[in-house]
Amino acid sequence: MPEVDVNGTRLFYQQSGSGPDVVLVHAVTSNQAVWIFSGLVDALAAEFRVTSYDLRGHGASDRPPTGYTSADMAADLHALHAALGLEPALLVGHSFGGVTGIHTALLHPEMVRGVILSDSFFPGLRAFEPNYGKPNVWTDLRETYNSIGVELGETVDFTRLFQATAELNAGQLAALDERVGPFGRGWLRQLPELAETTCGADAFAEAGLTAEAIASVTCPVVALYDEFSPFLATSDWLEKNLAHCTAEIIPAAKHLAVLENSEAFTAAVLKHLKRLNSTLPHPLTTH
Amino acid sequence: MKDAELIYADLAEVMRSAFPDRDYDGEVGPATCVFADIGLASIDLIVLAERLEGFYGVKLPFGTFLNGLRKQGATDVQLGSLVAFLRQNIPA
Repeated sequence: MPEVDVNGTRLFYQQSGSGPDVVLVHAVTSNQAVWIFSGLVDALAAEFRVTSYDLRGHGASDRPPTGYTSADMAADLHALHAALGLEPALLVGHSFGGVTGIHTALLHPEMVRGVILSDSFFPGLRAFEPNYGKPNVWTDLRETYNSIGVELGETVDFTRLFQATAELNAGQLAALDERVGPFGRGWLRQLPELAETTCGADAFAEAGLTAEAIASVTCPVVALYDEFSPFLATSDWLEKNLAHCTAEIIPAAKHLAVLENSEAFTAAVLKHLKRLNSTLPHPLTTH
Repeated sequence: MKDAELIYADLAEVMRSAFPDRDYDGEVGPATCVFADIGLASIDLIVLAERLEGFYGVKLPFGTFLNGLRKQGATDVQLGSLVAFLRQNIPA
């Protein structure tokens, strides 16, 4: 299994294709399977070298007890980038993966050619986002847990989700299994393991990624926000405050466009990656 | 094209090697589902895919295969589909 040891943590990664480097960064509680199952990796690999990996604590990577802020994740991504000998890369990040991408661009601008965000909401932009912490998928999840007598609260609270799942009895777990279906069961089973980490709280820590810091990012940013996303105020803010930000709406999606509308999401990502790659100096010619 | 029965045997061998701590005692056939029956999680399927690529020595278009199943409305991966996919994409 391809893996790399970064900052004392073993990360599981996959690589496909050849060409300019693209790195895919998934969201909290997700894993790199989301990029592969959607067909995105195969679509991009025709023109790019695509690296996907499991964030610490997720998928097949190690699960250390601490170190889950976007600053920690940026440090992991920087170390993974160096360990794999990648060229300066274009990053694609979903939700918290996008926060990690922007944080990496801030801390390590030399390794990031551009960032494509998918429906990200930023702790540092809480003041500008009236729907901060309220993705539609959380509302759905809250209803699912309510059906087994567990209240998760109105706003995303991963710590509560992890702990509540760890404390489910066999009957509640069986009922949830039924609700989430065979594909969701694997996702469900990892949540109690994350309860043993600081991931839940860390994911909502500003960790230095203030509004001012975000506004100072100079690389090109593409803000792909979903048609039914509650975070369109964030998209507007990014477009107005970043030096080079292009915003686009992905139709018929509410937070997980890569799976909810794989075709449109893949087309948009490919279009913007090609545009960024053709307009930015190629990394091989800059040294 | 490699015989389907031989691919089932390959699959069993690769799965035993990839997930040595998991036992599946049920009957295995084309309708066996990797998530619901065998109990794999999404990331396990990615690990399995990577192991199968190593076993056959060829890069396999798993993403295209899995996305195709999703487009058909499938919520699981049946071994019969997986074996058919492998038959089409591995060296004879």
